Amino acid sequence: MDRLQLGFDQNVSGAEDDFPSLLRRKGLLGPIAFGPMTQTATQQQTWQSTEATTILAFKFTGGVLVAGDRRATAGNTVVYDRADKVLEIDRHSIMAIAGVPATAWEMARVLEHSLEYFRRTQLQEMTVDGKVRALSKLLRDNFGFVMQGIGVVVPIFATYDGNSKPEARLYFYDAMGAQFEATDYAATGSGSPAVRGILYYENTWGAKPLHNLSEQEAVSLALRALDTAAESDTATAGVDRSGKVYPVIKIVSREGITTLPEGKIATVFKEMVA
Amino acid sequence: MIEEPYRWVEAIANRREYIEGQLAPGSPIAALGYREGILFVTLGQTRQKLFEIYDRIAMGAIGHPGDIERLRMAAIELASTEGFTRSAADVSLRRLAHYSLSPVMKTAFEQVYGPPYLARMLFAEVGVHPEDDLFLRVEYDGEIASNGATYARARQDFAVLSGTRQSVELMETFLKSEHKPDASFETAVNSALDAWSVGHMLLQASETNELPARDAITQHRQEQLAIAAIEAAVLERDGSRPIRYRSLADKELRSIITQ
Repeated sequence: MDRLQLGFDQNVSGAEDDFPSLLRRKGLLGPIAFGPMTQTATQQQTWQSTEATTILAFKFTGGVLVAGDRRATAGNTVVYDRADKVLEIDRHSIMAIAGVPATAWEMARVLEHSLEYFRRTQLQEMTVDGKVRALSKLLRDNFGFVMQGIGVVVPIFATYDGNSKPEARLYFYDAMGAQFEATDYAATGSGSPAVRGILYYENTWGAKPLHNLSEQEAVSLALRALDTAAESDTATAGVDRSGKVYPVIKIVSREGITTLPEGKIATVFKEMVA
Repeated sequence: MIEEPYRWVEAIANRREYIEGQLAPGSPIAALGYREGILFVTLGQTRQKLFEIYDRIAMGAIGHPGDIERLRMAAIELASTEGFTRSAADVSLRRLAHYSLSPVMKTAFEQVYGPPYLARMLFAEVGVHPEDDLFLRVEYDGEIASNGATYARARQDFAVLSGTRQSVELMETFLKSEHKPDASFETAVNSALDAWSVGHMLLQASETNELPARDAITQHRQEQLAIAAIEAAVLERDGSRPIRYRSLADKELRSIITQ
């Protein structure tokens, strides 16, 4: 008897695979790329990091603050000045991205749907460790494309762990998918060396350590840091001086994610930064 | 044997009788559209019967846990891949039930050498306005009943699921007179629990075909609430968050139940 034309395969249980492999099974997600395309590619071009942006995140009294500038570039051309690189993955998780936008946004989309899919099918929330690992696996699967010189993504992941020990958690990654938990702060993108310097200095010798900052102090520090990064890095917009475009700032806390309204950022900017 | 048409019809009839017998003791589920969303209510002690399928779609089911799981997984899989490749707004219950679930269940039911799905499901999709709410009951043979208007009756703002046809019919009769689409959450919870009691009473005493008296319903409800846990969930109409499904704890509901 011919195989029935079924809308779905009766013999496959959704419990068996995670969402990315489900997408691959249905041909909806590209294959895992293994290594460089040709031998000459590795010999001739060395891999260059192209994550042209600045993303920073640090813990303060109200949870984790994640901020990102809004410039998208292609080479030395500014493509877009209202890009949102700080993305909400679920009610308590943020993925902030530096890297090739097409890959990064797709990765964020896969991650967002993976967590939902897990929660709906397994009837339980994925643990923080599971979420961190899921992103790591996506980066790992993408590494072949990184070696080919297309599609490097270096994200930061901020979340609130409501389960084992209630606290805000912050992770940063490298392009291969290694995850590092940050105790106080993390930064990624081409403008990150400057930002990391500022955050280290503030945390060590500033008026108070980062984790004791109030929301207002945290926002002003984030804006100052992005502005500093933009000073030397052309791929970072910092704060538009004409006052039209502000960075995206989101805060993760026990209650969930808050996106700071532009008006509020503008007020802090005018009082403390400009 | 199956080559003869008459034998096939007989086999199908036997199979129907067998499945109906298996599903008969299933605890009823009531789904009511109210002002702020759609409420699912049932009572039980052991197995979870209400599930989230996608952002705006929920499911209640009775039957064999293995079959319910397979169908639930398939529904989530279809909705999730559709939501991923297109957008969450492109996921629709109508397409999910009519194009994917129903044909598969019908085929499984009629292939008399293979196993049928021992499950009966109630789906709901919350709309922008109460009149956009969609309720679909999908039977083990792929038959679909919706809450839409037909020649015989007006559109309903509720749907029910139960072990037997008589139980379903009486629950519907009860809700037709009790339930209003602009009901508040509290009113909806109480109407749903009463409807559940009507359905449950009929499963226990199937010889009657009349709606029990008000006092009897209240008494039955109290007796059952004392021994069983309430399982409830809502699909919220408020569009500020993409995910509308929220399961309600037993404790949250006990305080708003009128005695």
